Amino acid sequence: MTVAVLELIEVEKNYGQPGRPIPVLRGVSFTIEAGAFCAIVGPSGSGKSTLMNIAGLLEAPSAGAVRLGGAAIDVASADEAAAIRGRELGFVFQAFNLLPRLTAWENVALPLLYGRTPRAERKPAAVAMLEQVGLGKRAGHRPFELSGGEQQRVALARALIREPKLILADEPTGNLDSVTAGEMMALLRDLNRGLAVTVLMVTHDRDLADRCDRRIDMLDGRIVGDTAFA
Amino acid sequence: MIAWPLPASRLPLAESVAEAFANLYAQRQRSALALLGILIGTASIVAMLTIGHMAQLETLKLFRHLGVDMLQIHAMPAGDAPAGVLDRGVVERLPASDPAVLAATPLVADHDTVSAGAKTFDLGIAAVTASLPRLMTLTVGQGRFIEPIDDDNLVAVVGVQAAQKLSAPGAPLIPGAKVGLKGYIFTVIGVLDSVPYTALDPMDVNNSVLIPLAGARRVFEPPDPTTALVHLRPEADVKAAGQRISAALANRTATLQVMSARDLIRGMNAQKAIHSQLLTAVGAISLLVGGIGVMNVMLMGVMERRREIGLRAAIGATPGDLQFMFLVEAGALAFVGGVVGLACGLLAALVTAKASGWSFSLALWVLPLGPGVAALVGVAFGLYPAVKASRLNPIEALRSE
Repeated sequence: MTVAVLELIEVEKNYGQPGRPIPVLRGVSFTIEAGAFCAIVGPSGSGKSTLMNIAGLLEAPSAGAVRLGGAAIDVASADEAAAIRGRELGFVFQAFNLLPRLTAWENVALPLLYGRTPRAERKPAAVAMLEQVGLGKRAGHRPFELSGGEQQRVALARALIREPKLILADEPTGNLDSVTAGEMMALLRDLNRGLAVTVLMVTHDRDLADRCDRRIDMLDGRIVGDTAFA
Repeated sequence: MIAWPLPASRLPLAESVAEAFANLYAQRQRSALALLGILIGTASIVAMLTIGHMAQLETLKLFRHLGVDMLQIHAMPAGDAPAGVLDRGVVERLPASDPAVLAATPLVADHDTVSAGAKTFDLGIAAVTASLPRLMTLTVGQGRFIEPIDDDNLVAVVGVQAAQKLSAPGAPLIPGAKVGLKGYIFTVIGVLDSVPYTALDPMDVNNSVLIPLAGARRVFEPPDPTTALVHLRPEADVKAAGQRISAALANRTATLQVMSARDLIRGMNAQKAIHSQLLTAVGAISLLVGGIGVMNVMLMGVMERRREIGLRAAIGATPGDLQFMFLVEAGALAFVGGVVGLACGLLAALVTAKASGWSFSLALWVLPLGPGVAALVGVAFGLYPAVKASRLNPIEALRSE
């Protein structure tokens, strides 16, 4: 039996003023099982980024429910949402978002600070995670000394350091050239298979999406297709 | 603003402080500018407190040799009387007649031309009794002081600076020398040691020639004492004693003026308090401006570090954690300003002490106060930027380029 990591149930999201809502998500429901490697594709404005933010507990839905690991999440409590985000989710962004002042391992160790891991345990854990993404020798470098692909791998290590249930990747290859992008996809795939990490990726690149196990197509705030690849 | 509930964060403080300093160092130029206001504010407050502290010590020092339990009663001419005078007998009987009085001495002081050899000088002249040295803590360097047996003699005791002036080159004035005053020749019987001048002294003893009060008629007209110095018991009620003594000495010739050492000290302190208040106001305004500077720099920091804030939120920082981070940074920034301000303030106090001829003295309680107040200002003015940071929308923050 497969375990649902993430469930969205009839999620709606409206922007704009009350009384003149601009609907962005119009009743989206799907389930991501443990160990899945799933892509959400759609053109700009289809609502995929908003969906990502709601799944990442960064934004509360206007209606509907989000369940993580079977438990309903009340995003209204900022402290609780932050704690769950830190513990159960890992983010990878298009722009990497590494802190330039910190070295690679310090960037990777940052989530451990908010997880109250004792200081002495953080560096070994961060260096071990960097080795996992093939950057063990770059632990002491600062982001500007690393290539784009290396920076994104540091960001991936940072997302993995607290062993989250789900990795949310927002256009993770958007700032990379095609060769590096391919390497990044292969790395994600390895982690998915090797460490059984569940991955939900948002992209506008259909070719990339077709290399995943499952592709959800979005258009105009609705799911218009859900394809599983063998 | 300080009553605002501080953010609930369980981030380790020491690590957060280290992190804050690293961040401030990374943008040191801007940090330095923000420090300036805090620095000036702390420096002026520290300087004010230290100078005030030193001034108070100096005031006390002025009265130390005299004691703070002194009264001076001075007779001013009343109505159409040519001069106000006191009754010598009443003054000298005060220790016996008033239980609050330890000692009392009558005197009359003026200044006149004193000659030694061919030279003349304008010096203080005072007619005094043998009890004066005890009340003014005078000590005789050479020779002896005036004693009751000298009452009918033409003898004088000379203050140390007066003695220097009256000396011939190579021949210092010593007991046995002669000085001329009002056509009389006085024999010098003693030279006094140097004594600090205080506000309550009826004359500048160092620059005076003292003669016996009994022989005052040769020099003074009328020859009666015009001033009384009274030493009260330490536990005496100064005001009540002053009123009783005035009543005892009251006569038709004089309006009596009573000055007490305590009143003078109080007056000096009150004057200093005005200066202190002025400096405190300058310090407070500087701190306010400095606080606004800190707020400005922190707000700029929040805007520039939107992505960092968003990222920290995404990886599990609570709003409290974010507020705490920026508050610690604002506090650290202001604290550095406070420490540098403390150093500048102490330097200013040191320079003031040198210029005024005071001995430098540091009030230890000033040391934590300067940087402490500065850090408090930093935290108070850092609250708004910190709250603003914690309310940023993480997604918008992460998307901002």
